Formats: sequence, structure tokens, C-alpha cells
Amino acid sequence: MNTTEPIAPSQLADLLSRTALGDRQAFAALYEASKSKLFVVALRIVRERQIAEEVLQDSFVKIWHHAADYATAKSAPLTWMSAIVRNRSLDIVRRPNMEIADDEDYFAVNMPDESPAPPDQLAAKRDEAQIERCMKNLEGEQHKAIAMAFFQGLSHTEVAARLKKPLGTVKTHIRRGLLKLKDCLDGHINDRQPEAGA
Amino acid sequence: MKLTNPQLQSRLAAEYVLGSMSIRARRRFTDYLVMAQHRALRDQVAIWERFMTPLTEQLPSVTPSARVWQRIESAIFGGKTPASTRVFGQNAVKTPANKGLLQSFAFWRNLGLGASSLAAVLLVVLLVGNIFRASADPMLMAVLENDGIARIVVEQPKSGVLMVKMIKPWKPAPDNSMQLWVISSSGEPRSLGIVNELGETKFATGDMDVKLADGLVLALSREPRGGSPTGQPTGRILCKGPIAKMPPKQKPRPQI
Repeated sequence: MNTTEPIAPSQLADLLSRTALGDRQAFAALYEASKSKLFVVALRIVRERQIAEEVLQDSFVKIWHHAADYATAKSAPLTWMSAIVRNRSLDIVRRPNMEIADDEDYFAVNMPDESPAPPDQLAAKRDEAQIERCMKNLEGEQHKAIAMAFFQGLSHTEVAARLKKPLGTVKTHIRRGLLKLKDCLDGHINDRQPEAGA
Repeated sequence: MKLTNPQLQSRLAAEYVLGSMSIRARRRFTDYLVMAQHRALRDQVAIWERFMTPLTEQLPSVTPSARVWQRIESAIFGGKTPASTRVFGQNAVKTPANKGLLQSFAFWRNLGLGASSLAAVLLVVLLVGNIFRASADPMLMAVLENDGIARIVVEQPKSGVLMVKMIKPWKPAPDNSMQLWVISSSGEPRSLGIVNELGETKFATGDMDVKLADGLVLALSREPRGGSPTGQPTGRILCKGPIAKMPPKQKPRPQI
């Protein structure tokens, strides 16, 4: 497991704002500081290194051209960049030729071999984000379905097939789980300040 | 469908950010997102992204190969891109916000002129030549291909007119339109119009010749119904090809 020191959000925000001004050195530093964190996000969803590399490439091309937009985003820099990587990854796994009906095969092949860190180790690693606390409040089935969709980029149908549950049941779990998350997070969001200004 | 109900907006935004939507639902949702009047929906997405995305921080880091950075640099700043090794090379520009990439000349140049030489294109023109029977001496021709398969043929039979013909009808997508673009030598895409997925389309506009004058490449992109909301390509490129301009026909020499 890679144990790269996390870079401070304020530093990343600074690199992003310099990138917005066309500073290539800042852009290179931004890439170095975030590539490993962002790569795993893509890898979990698209499951193949080569495709994950393309996702990372496309995402950074986008980050270069849209770095100025970060100034108006209210999220932490890594969150903003992760969202770009996630969206690109999801766009790829939601392509018709990537959604494979045979789930067994789909999950058997090309799974990245990096296993996730044990949960207790993660919890000790750093302060928990609010979302992690809220996720823990979810019931087992809701938690499982939402985590599968989020981390592995699985659709409702794919989650249902994997959990061997009817589609309707899984949709309900996800919907109720998201409502619960929203309730849990609402107070948090209303008084939340941007974590780092540009 | 109008997404005016805030609860529905929040639910769909949550499912979009979670990533659990089906292909079709995701595509429709993205279409809503790119339209300015769905500001509320974009805000909901931003809220959910801020909520959910920090979860990714618990994933253990994995270092990507060094070649990724080289490719990023060459994609943005020019130079040789090892495009042929891409698995998703054709779809590198799918996301609506990739405007900068779409506008960069290097990108379009690679797109249009990279793989297919003019000779190869002309060969395809000969092979599919019987598609057009109307004009014997077109002013301009282009075969738009994807992964080496010719998908549409475009020709300009006479000044001000452009004919577009599907080699095989496209699978209809009720939520989308297919839009034809001409990319100028400065890399700027200009819309030529919406193409009929099933057969032939004839464009006849006063500014056609002006738009084509500086054109290097034609490209077809998938756009929200009715065409790109931004005036620039926002969807993925379905096929593309370089423009072959025919030399003006020699007038028969007057008999003396």
C-alpha cells in the first residue's frame, strides 16, 4: 500500500489557481500531488489499469482547461478533482459495450489487485469526513448497496445482480439510504465553509 | 419530463453522483445538466458531490504509470500523442465541459488527419462512390469514419449546398441529435447543422461556402436533442474525416 503524505488542501488550491493562469509548473506539481489519490478512484470503477490511465489523462486535460472553475466551487480541491475523475470513469463504464450482462465474468476479470485497507486502519489514519460518519449510520443492506455503487461504479441493475436481490429492492435500499444520508449531512452542509479558498 | 420538483432533483442528483444510474438515465440526466435552465439541478449535483466524493479519500493510493503524464502534456501542449494505444481514444471528448480540448487545433488535427491519409479516404470514396449519383463533379468530399469504418459520406455538389449520406442508418437515439461540424485550420469547430440519422440530409445555406472555405476536417457529434446548447460540440465524436477539396474543373478551351 502506498503511503504518500497527503498534501494540504490549501496547497492544492494554490496549485489549482496557478494552473488556471496557465502555470505549467504548478499544473505538473498538482498532478504529482494528486495522481495516486485520483488514479485509484478511476481504477476502482473501470477496473483496468489502461482504461484508468486514460481516465486520469482525460481528467487532467479537463482540469487544465477548467481550473478556473474551481474558484467558484465550494469543495476541497481533491473533492473537486475526484468528482471529475469519477464522472469520466462512470461515463466510460456506462457505455453500452462496457455494461456487461454476465456479472460473474465482469467481476472476475481485471479487478485491481490492490486490496482496500482494513476499515479500522483507515479510521485511525485521519479525521473522519462527515460522510463516513453518516455512512456508518446506514443499515447493513443500504450501506452495502450504496458503497458498491459508489466505489465500484455499479448500476442499480449490477448491484442487484451482485447482491442477488430483486432490482426493486436494491433501488429502494439505495433511495432510502440516500435520503438518510441527506438527513445526516444536511446540518453539516448548511454551515459548511469551503475548506480552502483559491 | 420537467425536473421542477426539488425532492426529485435531489434524488436524481444523488443517484447521478453515486453513479448507480443506468446508461440511459445517466445520459438524459447529463443532458439536463448542460442546459442552463437547470441551474437548480447543477446545484444539487454540486451539493451531493461535496457530500459523497470525500469518501474516495479512504481508498489506498495507487501510482499510475509515468506515461500518463507524458500523454497529458502532449494532449494539452501538443507533440506526438500515442493515440493508437488508447482503448477509448475515440471518446476522449465525451464530457460536455471539454470545450478547451475540442477547440484546440492540435486535437482536431490529430483527430482528422492522424490515421487516415487522403489516399485511403479517396479509395473509400471510390468504394462507396455510388452512394451519390446526383453530382458528377463535387467541389468537396469527405468520408467520416470511426475505427476505420466509413460511416457517412459528405460532398458538396455545388456552391452553397452540402449533401450528407449515411452509409448505414444510425441507431436512432430519441434524446439526441447528430450534429455535423466543420473544423477550420485554426481548430475552431463551426456547426453545419443537424443530420438525419436514417438517410440523407441536404444543407443549403447562404454561408455554407464561407464556413467550408477554411475547413480541414468534418466531424459528427452526438448532442442533446435539437443540437448543441453551447454552439460548440459537447457530445462524443461519432465519426470524423479530413476534407478533400477537388480542384476547380477546367473550363473547356474555346474552340477557335
